[in-house]
Amino acid sequence: MISEYLLVLISIVSLLTNVSVQVVVFRCFPRLGLLKSEYFGFCAGLSSLFTISLKEFTAISLLNLIMYFSLSYCYFNFVNLGETARRVRILRELCDSVQGLSLQELLSRYNAKEIVERRIERLLNNGQIIFSNDRFYIGAPLMLWIAKIIMVMKLVILGRRYLDTVYQRNKDRDV
Amino acid sequence: MTVLFWGLMIFGLSFLLHFIIWKIHIPQKQTKALLEVFFSSLIVCTAILLISSFNYSRVRSISPAGFREYFHLYIFFISLMLAYIVNYSALEVDSPTLTMVISIANKGKNGLDKQELLVLMSDGLLVKPRIDDLVSSNMIYLEEGKYKLTRNGSLFAHIFIFYRKLLNLPKGG
Repeated sequence: MISEYLLVLISIVSLLTNVSVQVVVFRCFPRLGLLKSEYFGFCAGLSSLFTISLKEFTAISLLNLIMYFSLSYCYFNFVNLGETARRVRILRELCDSVQGLSLQELLSRYNAKEIVERRIERLLNNGQIIFSNDRFYIGAPLMLWIAKIIMVMKLVILGRRYLDTVYQRNKDRDV
Repeated sequence: MTVLFWGLMIFGLSFLLHFIIWKIHIPQKQTKALLEVFFSSLIVCTAILLISSFNYSRVRSISPAGFREYFHLYIFFISLMLAYIVNYSALEVDSPTLTMVISIANKGKNGLDKQELLVLMSDGLLVKPRIDDLVSSNMIYLEEGKYKLTRNGSLFAHIFIFYRKLLNLPKGG
C-alpha cells in the first residue's frame, strides 16, 4: 500500500532531492555558478527517480518521468525568476525601504541601464553574443532559437508579434 | 497506462479550450484565467469519467481505477499545467534578454551598437510597465507619490528573499 503511494509521489520526492542537492552544491561550491548547481540538482533528482521507480520501464515510469521533468522545469524557472525577474527586483527594493519609494528613487536604484548591462554581461559570458569593433553580434545561436520558438508560440497563441510592444513604445516616444 | 492516457487527453482538451477562448477574447488577468480553464476542465472531465465508469462497464475498463490512480492523474495534470503556465508567462511579457538577442540578430552582419541598444531598451519599456503590472496585480500601491508593498507583495518578496538568502545570493534583476 505504502509503496504504491510512493510510486505516485516519487516525482515529488525526486523534485525535493533536486532542490536539496542544488542548494547544498551551490552553498558548498558557489564558484560553480547557479546554472551548474541546477544541473547537479536535476541529475540527483533524476537518479533518485531511476533508483526507485524505473527498475523496469513501464507506463507509470514514463508518467513519473514526465512529471519530474515538468516539476523540475518549474523549479528551474523559480530560481531564474529570483535571478532575472524585474518585478521581483522591484519588490525587493520596496521591501528594503519602509517609507516606500517614489518613481525617481526606484529608477535611481534599478533602471534600464542596469538591466541591459547585466544581460549583456550574461550573454557575453555564455557566448550567446560577441562584442567586436564596438558592436554586438550573435554568437552561439541557442538563445536566438529560444527567442524564435517563443516568437512562434506568441504568434499562434496570442496572435501578437514579438517586439510589438518595443516598436509601439518607441513609435509613441518618437511622436 | 490509463493515467498517462487520460492525463494527456484532459491536458490536450484543456489546452484546446484555452486556445479557443484566447482566440475569441484574451482575458485581462491571463494567469488567473488559465488556472480557471485548466482546473475546471480537469474537474469536469474526471467527474464525467467517474460517472461513466459507474454506469458503463466498457468505460470502466479503460478509466483510472480507484482513488490512487485518480490522485496520480491529478498530480500528473497539475505538473503539466504548471509547466505550461510558467512557459506562458514568457509569452505575456517580452523578455529583455530575448528582445536584445532578436534586436542584435535583426542587424545581421552589421551588428548592433551598445548605444542603439540602450536607446531601444528604455526605462519606459523595461521598468515602468513592470511597476504598472505590480500595481494592477495588487502587489504594490501608490500613496502620496511613493510606491509601497501590499501584504501580497510583501509575502511574494519574502519568498524570494528567503530563497536567495539560503543560497547566499545578492539582489537579482
